[in-house]
Amino acid sequence: MELKVQLTGISESVGHLLPELVLISSLVISLLLGLFLKKNKQTILYIFSLATYLASFFIIIQTWPHQPVSLFGGMMRLDDFSAFFKLLFFTGGFLTILISKQKGETASEYIILIDAILLGACLLAMSMNFVMLILSMELISLPSYVLAGFAFDRKSSEGSLKYFLFGTVATACMIYGISLIYGLSGTLDFSSNQFIEALIDSKDSLLFVASFLILTALLFKIAAVPFHLWAPDVYESAPTPVVAFLSVVPKLAGLAIFIKMVLALNLFGQSALPWSMIVAFFAILSIVIGNLSALVQTNPKRMLAYSSIAQSGFLLIGLATMSMEGIHFLMFYAVIFLIMNFLVFAVLHQFENSINIQSVHNFAGLGRLSFLPAFSLLIGMIALTGLPPTAGFTAKLLIFTSLWTSYEDSHSITLLILMVVGLINTVIALFYYLKIPYLLFLKEPVSGSVAIKNSFPRNLFHLILVMLLIYLFLLPGGLMGWINQITFVL
Amino acid sequence: MHLLSLLIFIPFGTALLALLVPSRYGNSFRAITLGVNIAQVIILLLVLSHYKYEGGFQLIEKIPWISIDLGAWGVLQSEYFVALDGLSLPMVALSVFILLIATLSSWTLEQNRKGYFVLLLTLNGAILGSFCALDFLLFYVFFEFMLLPMYFLIGIWGGTKREYASIKFFLYTLLGSILILIVIVALYISIKTPDTSDRIVHTFNVLHMQDFNNLIPDSLLALDSIKLVGVFSFRYWAFLLLFIGFIIKLPAVPFHTWLPDAHVEAPTPISVILAALLLKFGGYGLLRFAYPIFPDAAIHFSWLVGLIGLISIIYGALNALSSKDLKRLIAYSSVSHMGFVLLGIASATVEGITGAVYQMFSHGIISAMLFLIAGVLYDRTGDRMIGNYSGLSSKMRSYAAFVLIAFFASMGLPGFAGFMGEVMIFFGAFQSSSVNGLLPVWMAIAATLGLLLGAAYYLWTIQRMFYGPFSTKNVTADLTDLNRREFSMLLPLALAALIFGILPQLLLNYINPFAGDFVNNLFQRGNLLTP
Repeated sequence: MELKVQLTGISESVGHLLPELVLISSLVISLLLGLFLKKNKQTILYIFSLATYLASFFIIIQTWPHQPVSLFGGMMRLDDFSAFFKLLFFTGGFLTILISKQKGETASEYIILIDAILLGACLLAMSMNFVMLILSMELISLPSYVLAGFAFDRKSSEGSLKYFLFGTVATACMIYGISLIYGLSGTLDFSSNQFIEALIDSKDSLLFVASFLILTALLFKIAAVPFHLWAPDVYESAPTPVVAFLSVVPKLAGLAIFIKMVLALNLFGQSALPWSMIVAFFAILSIVIGNLSALVQTNPKRMLAYSSIAQSGFLLIGLATMSMEGIHFLMFYAVIFLIMNFLVFAVLHQFENSINIQSVHNFAGLGRLSFLPAFSLLIGMIALTGLPPTAGFTAKLLIFTSLWTSYEDSHSITLLILMVVGLINTVIALFYYLKIPYLLFLKEPVSGSVAIKNSFPRNLFHLILVMLLIYLFLLPGGLMGWINQITFVL
Repeated sequence: MHLLSLLIFIPFGTALLALLVPSRYGNSFRAITLGVNIAQVIILLLVLSHYKYEGGFQLIEKIPWISIDLGAWGVLQSEYFVALDGLSLPMVALSVFILLIATLSSWTLEQNRKGYFVLLLTLNGAILGSFCALDFLLFYVFFEFMLLPMYFLIGIWGGTKREYASIKFFLYTLLGSILILIVIVALYISIKTPDTSDRIVHTFNVLHMQDFNNLIPDSLLALDSIKLVGVFSFRYWAFLLLFIGFIIKLPAVPFHTWLPDAHVEAPTPISVILAALLLKFGGYGLLRFAYPIFPDAAIHFSWLVGLIGLISIIYGALNALSSKDLKRLIAYSSVSHMGFVLLGIASATVEGITGAVYQMFSHGIISAMLFLIAGVLYDRTGDRMIGNYSGLSSKMRSYAAFVLIAFFASMGLPGFAGFMGEVMIFFGAFQSSSVNGLLPVWMAIAATLGLLLGAAYYLWTIQRMFYGPFSTKNVTADLTDLNRREFSMLLPLALAALIFGILPQLLLNYINPFAGDFVNNLFQRGNLLTP
């Protein structure tokens, strides 16, 4: 009887995972297609995966809004919160494939790895159980290590290996932390009452240690200081579309589970640890160290790596407020972050295809020769800085709104420091975000530099992203209203 | 009739259309820009004909713009809200006039004309938008929108050190606007609209922000908020942040160091716009936002405002006295003249406020003229060092005449626009101690030193450059007199400097009602709080 209940539970759960099932079947088909397809017909693979992501995206839209439903005996829960992040993942996957052009034998492997990461990200966003968390996190990590080395050169291998080494240590830390938590609470389900009751008012210093060990892995995943060291090397050496992908999808997946985990460990504010302060602390660290390090970089991708670290800090602000609204604004920020990040990396990729950009100085004067790509890059950088008229401004405005309101309620000095640091860093960030546009437009072209290859579809793609950033600045109400309806309980 | 919207969006729309014109039609861009300027002059005349001499806002246009659901915190609401009053109308008129002159002054530009004029049009729309906006968020957006065009205009078309100057300009201004942004965030969270629906609507409407009844009780900016950070309450801090944010733009000592660099490196038309229009946002911001929203803090800190004004007057003048570069001299004289604006505002008397607005207007006209004059010389020789010239008046007769007019006007000689502004500021500053007790008399007395120094550096420059036997050092170019285009730019400015000096009523009719309301409001609401 017991077994039968479990079996029906599983078969019922499967029905809720339609987007993931589509993804899995696409993964398998891509694998087979890669084996049998002629090497010059690889475009089919790309079109096929684009179609898959689109299909999964619309399946999620179709079933909106989701009644929160527990799957596989409490392993996962599907709700609007996780579905929202799944939408972002599929969008990220779609945009990545759109700008990728991995040719030849490795094309199918490339797509399979991306499929696998997307699958892991979807599962991670839904996880409600520590075991599920470890599994899906590894499902993201392992293909990421491989993708990081996909430029197949020495540097890329080095980046990949570094990522792997740091990553495994972080995972090991997390597993150790989880084992301690399991010992303290007696359950692996971090949404259960048992978990909360066991840990509430616990002043055990072991809990402190265990929480930090778990946080380590999550901070590593979102590339937040002090576990950010892998990011610059990986970003510098991996192919640009991969970097765009890695800087968005695993980061947002990590963020989704970070939110859940912190809310769980916060124990409805009954925790002995001041979680708001802890998150704010890491946010401050990430913003300051990310921005200051970015200032001195000359390699554009390394610079964007540090920028991405700083952006993690800004995303964490929403969580530091520990309020539903703050997290809603974080989700809004995540959408904008996805758009602006892809915009910047896509344009960078376009430049990369024509010229060698080891240093930002290679951009000198190209803005006059290739106006449209340069203009798109300018808008992307402005958005990342957080200036109007782009949605980057709206996102920052909302994040700081939540921070101010939270400060009004709590009078916590940490939050005030976070606010001051965050705002001052906007000015510092401008300095390096503007470096490339500055070189593009203000410097004279080096003799012999030519306009980059102009491609209408790419320019159109960039312009669409630019338009989106401006549209969401002018009329953010629609998106924000939609996000506001997403409720979640732990 | 959406006159103000037309004024703001015609340049934006034209800039977008001009982007589509291929850049090989180089000459068409300046014609397009001139067309926009002329259209704006016509609209301005219509605006003036509709405007009545009375207090309050006129030509109001208001439609909802952004509305975001903040969940439990209510609704964020921003409006497209533009209107004119006795403060913004002179500024808008000045902008339209100066932007026309700037286009004429750019007429001979050769390098990348498409980019230049598109940026100029964008800047044009942003400036007018900022002066008209009565929604703080809308203002901020227009305000920030000025940064990028300005950055590129200085950075691409500027002088030899243009890159350094442009990034310095950008960073300083952005720092200022971040400080302003902090206050905007704090303000809109603390303010609700007066309507009594169950949901709190947080608004950016500046008029709502000025009404204490709209402050949400227990918010950090509430009047009775006892929460202190350091030594001041949040309201005082908010005022100080706004104050610093705007005086960076003004600029006042010690935040003025970007100005000489930006001015020296910027091309002439951009210097003109920078000095005549962008600097005005400092004074405008204080009068429009900082003072009316935080009258209590404004009264409390008026000594600080006055003191910084005084320091700027003296320090700017001393720097001008020691400048070897003509453009740098003019830039420092701007710092000095903007110090008078601060002094007038700090006095918080009707005369002082009227004088401050008048001074902003007249400085707009005169500084535009001064920078054009420096540009004329630079165009011919590529050299602006005062010491390299002497006896120019014998070679360039009409040029010397205009220089005399501009210098005397800037010195504040009676009969010129500069005189009216300064004399009223002094009325205000001297009265202040007896009327409201905000400024000590010694500040007003010390400020007169600025007039003296002003006369000194201008007269000395005239003597060095224009009198005596003709000679030049390191300059080989032929020094020809003004050509027709330069004449046509300088003449209207000189006439304006004279007309507004002789017939101040033309402007005072607009400013006076505003200044009266402003001072009444300040003390009615500000004194409620001082124990």
